[in-house]
Amino acid sequence: MDSAEVEFLAEKETVTIIPNFSQGKIYLIGGEVGPFTGSLPLEVPLWLAVNLKQRQKCRITPTDWMNVDKLEEIKRGEIESKYFTEMPSKHYMEMAQILLNCAANDIPNADQVRTLIKDIWDLRLAKLRSSIDIFIGSDGTHAMVG
Amino acid sequence: MAESSASIEHVISDDSDMEHMTAAEVLAKLEEAWLNEKFAPELLECRTELVECMLDQIAEMNKNIEKAKKGDFRVTIHRIEIDRVRYVLSSYLRERLQKVEKFAEHLIEEEGKRLPDTASKLSPEELQYAIEYHKSIDAHFKQVALRHMPPNLQSVDTKDTLVKPNLDHFVFLRVNERTLDDVDIDGIETLTLDNHSQYVMRYRPIAHLLENNAVSLI
Repeated sequence: MDSAEVEFLAEKETVTIIPNFSQGKIYLIGGEVGPFTGSLPLEVPLWLAVNLKQRQKCRITPTDWMNVDKLEEIKRGEIESKYFTEMPSKHYMEMAQILLNCAANDIPNADQVRTLIKDIWDLRLAKLRSSIDIFIGSDGTHAMVG
Repeated sequence: MAESSASIEHVISDDSDMEHMTAAEVLAKLEEAWLNEKFAPELLECRTELVECMLDQIAEMNKNIEKAKKGDFRVTIHRIEIDRVRYVLSSYLRERLQKVEKFAEHLIEEEGKRLPDTASKLSPEELQYAIEYHKSIDAHFKQVALRHMPPNLQSVDTKDTLVKPNLDHFVFLRVNERTLDDVDIDGIETLTLDNHSQYVMRYRPIAHLLENNAVSLI
């Protein structure tokens, strides 16, 4: 799976936005969205949020885990645990990338958030490398992941 | 009216059951079928009903967009969504076609041996494509190489050229519905797969679990 496809899957996650326009419900193939009422938050899929943001029709509210304190907590947990800890979202990396790229001004301390997410990613990748090494070396038939 | 499209329920006949699914559910099922097809080493069962339903939905949506006023920005949003659905559809069909090309001979042989009441893995169009592709490759091979060889080496033994899918390929999977006990691994050991966990193992022992959606490949 290349990175574009992984992002494609991540774009289905929902985020909260605050629109600056008003519009009735939109009936998409994948479900309905709206109604959009100026300055009232609502949930939309990520791809829609990014599109609206790029056309300056909304503000994106950062997710509850996309702040410095929560991420530092997660990073500490990851360092201390030998195994993988639970991540706030299956697509935390992609969502962070996408949101930091298009809505950095809506996210407080964007640079710190970016660094923290990268650190967590590197930690988990290192753990994955070493455990796959052990798995292959031991001729295991199966393993539980994450 | 332009917005009534998604309230249309599609009747999907699933063997003998008539199932009403909303378009959103069909889309979710199609995306699952797409991911499973991507990661499975063999060709999975053809889900033509999902493909056709989505094609209908896209056609409906396109019709609605044309009727709507110009400059209505909802049109853009619908267009983006249509592009996304089309991407999933074409990627799904492309994956299947790649496997049909890779395993053409094997699939034609299997189709010949199939009992009349078991479902075919190939759609009728795919089967025709497999047969013609195989013929073309054979003819090409003959034309380019075989006819220049000495007469006693001019035939190709199908047993040597047959490409079978590698069912021992390792795959990642996620358990969907419930904890699965007694997953038999080649009669050697039995595993318990916990609900909502992810595993990596060979494809062969869990292949049958894909059919009823007890696991999905990731």
